[in-house]
Amino acid sequence: MITISNLKKEYKSVPVVDIQSLSIGQGESFGLVGNNGAGKTTLFRMLLDLVRPSSGEIQINGKNVQGNDEWKSYVGSFLDENFLISYLTPDEYFSFVGKLHGYTSEDLKSVLAPFEELFNGEITGKKKYISDLSKGNLKKVGIAAAFIGQPQIIVLDEPFENLDPTSQIRLKNLIIHEYKNRNTTFLISSHDLNHVTETCNRIVIMEKGKVINDLKGGQEALAQLEAYFKA
Amino acid sequence: MITTFLSHTTRRLLRSSSAGKELATKVTLGIIMLIVAGYTLALGFSLKTIFVDVLKQNNPVGFLNGLLFYFFLTGFVMRYFLQSLPVLDAQPYLHLPIARSRIVHFLLGRSLVHIANVFIFLLFTPFAMTVIAKAYGVSHAWVWLLSVWLISLLNHFVITLFKKKLDDNIWGLITLIAVFGTLSAADYFGWFKLSSVSQTFFDATLVGYTTIAVLVLLVLSCYVITYRFFLHGMYPEELSAQQGQSFHSANWAFLQNFGLTGEWIGVEIKLIVRHKRTRQLLFMNLIFLFYGLIFYNNPKFQTSFGMPLFLGIFITGIFAINYGQFLYSWQAGHFDFTLTQPISLTQFVESKYWLLASFTVLNFLLNIPYVYFGWNILMIHLAGALFNMGVNIFILMNMAMWEPKKIDLSRSGMFNHQGVGAAQWLMSIPILISPFVFYLPLSLLGYPEGGILAVGTAGLIGIIFRKKLIEFTVRRLSEKRLLIAANFRKD
Repeated sequence: MITISNLKKEYKSVPVVDIQSLSIGQGESFGLVGNNGAGKTTLFRMLLDLVRPSSGEIQINGKNVQGNDEWKSYVGSFLDENFLISYLTPDEYFSFVGKLHGYTSEDLKSVLAPFEELFNGEITGKKKYISDLSKGNLKKVGIAAAFIGQPQIIVLDEPFENLDPTSQIRLKNLIIHEYKNRNTTFLISSHDLNHVTETCNRIVIMEKGKVINDLKGGQEALAQLEAYFKA
Repeated sequence: MITTFLSHTTRRLLRSSSAGKELATKVTLGIIMLIVAGYTLALGFSLKTIFVDVLKQNNPVGFLNGLLFYFFLTGFVMRYFLQSLPVLDAQPYLHLPIARSRIVHFLLGRSLVHIANVFIFLLFTPFAMTVIAKAYGVSHAWVWLLSVWLISLLNHFVITLFKKKLDDNIWGLITLIAVFGTLSAADYFGWFKLSSVSQTFFDATLVGYTTIAVLVLLVLSCYVITYRFFLHGMYPEELSAQQGQSFHSANWAFLQNFGLTGEWIGVEIKLIVRHKRTRQLLFMNLIFLFYGLIFYNNPKFQTSFGMPLFLGIFITGIFAINYGQFLYSWQAGHFDFTLTQPISLTQFVESKYWLLASFTVLNFLLNIPYVYFGWNILMIHLAGALFNMGVNIFILMNMAMWEPKKIDLSRSGMFNHQGVGAAQWLMSIPILISPFVFYLPLSLLGYPEGGILAVGTAGLIGIIFRKKLIEFTVRRLSEKRLLIAANFRKD
């Protein structure tokens, strides 16, 4: 599904991402962990064709993402606030993203219905612009929008950050549900080792741009991760 | 403490991420400022000559005193646009153990360091020290000069209060219109003449000390009012410019008939009506529709070709030029979104084209009353509108890709230079010159009508081949998109 080969990104000849080969299969839920500066976000940006690799390439479904529009219709993503349109209300934003995917308002309703609980009555139906939302609510809007369009792949950068504990648990359930029901491929980066081991069945540790460990999810993974980060 | 604040302020100026990059803009602005300062000083030295020899006034001091209130009214309007509230940068100090009163005093004091307050001295010191000093003595010359300065300070604090309370608010506009309306009505119906009020007032400063005492008291009380106002309003959410934001929910449903391009235009129209800085562009567009009246009242221009061509380009294209020079910067906050959503760059560029073109068409329709000055004027404006749609918009769309900078829409205001780089200054040159490339050759050969026709035809050709031109634009944007995205991600 996603194949990374000889991918390298350098800023002023300092390598930020340097991955020989890595492939992520259909239906995998892929967790990415690593300390600040490990290159997680840069990797995601290259995957979404927002940063030009210094060399190498990333393919989605056999096609290089670079300069290619095709993947956009089946990859949902939310990395940061640059993915939100701050001057729209959440409702307007959802309906706009929905229209980009050819949704009717009914389709949109059914996609957003599972999010009602997560939204906690603070997002939809409010006369409030996205720019006026709290950080946690911004995150919820962006994540929900990434689910629109029945994407085969969903890319989320630090989805649990800024969320309250209740929302974190609800989001975790949403991701697991989506992953089990629709066999969606997830790419999630997180600093929260518990969440990442619970939501992902494969976890990769990055350090200084390189993949240094590739683990299967579950309890053993958590122990291994804790051992790594303690050092 | 004050010195610490001062050193922080200078560091902020020197270390802002845009400081180095916008050097060209800063240098340009600095040079313009120096030139203006030079001219102001020269004007100051020649005030007497102008009043006595050109305007044939035998009492230059009285004449100037009569003008001063008008001068301050104009100053009020200028300050409204030029002077910004001195507040937002107080936030990092609020939680530290520093007395609020200190912060407020510093903010208000620093706000006084403003071009307008310096220019007063450049303009009036020569006159005060020569003409007034000779006639009324040096001490009264100083009193006069200080009075002028104090009124200017009064203006300063009134504007600060006004902007804080009534900015971007319908009541503020109504108050302004009421004040200026009453003043002009008073002048017109002869209730009182502002000039004679002004003259009486400033003549009084030349003989006694009561007026300046009153002025000092007024300025001090204004300072105290502003001070108290800020002292009790030192909360970040009250300090931000966005307070009392109105909610616009118009949906522009008809745009849905144009598919994704229409959707995208709908979003951009929301952007325009929901932010102050872009609303001001709409407002300026409206004002500049009347720009031609200044010229066409002069019969010389009614039968000429060059000036109407310039006006046609300018008036029909004012929004396209003002908005288009930052075409990509407006949506900088969600450029990453644009690139990752299933919308092709072609649809994106098309939406930009139609947005700018619609405004040009709309402006042309609003230009129709200019037919009052003759059909030829309207036809020349039509040629200008066509040229804007067929050529200039494409120049804009392509030049705007030249190192665009992020615009933070929550910060607002005219003379807000955010997003302005050297490119934006250079951009207006080709826009205004390019029609003359088509017009001048034929005009110099003695066929000005032919020249206008050539401009209109060039525009039409551009409109007919717009698909090709859009393709060209898309190709360039596609090459530059990652650079632009990286630029926008930087703050």
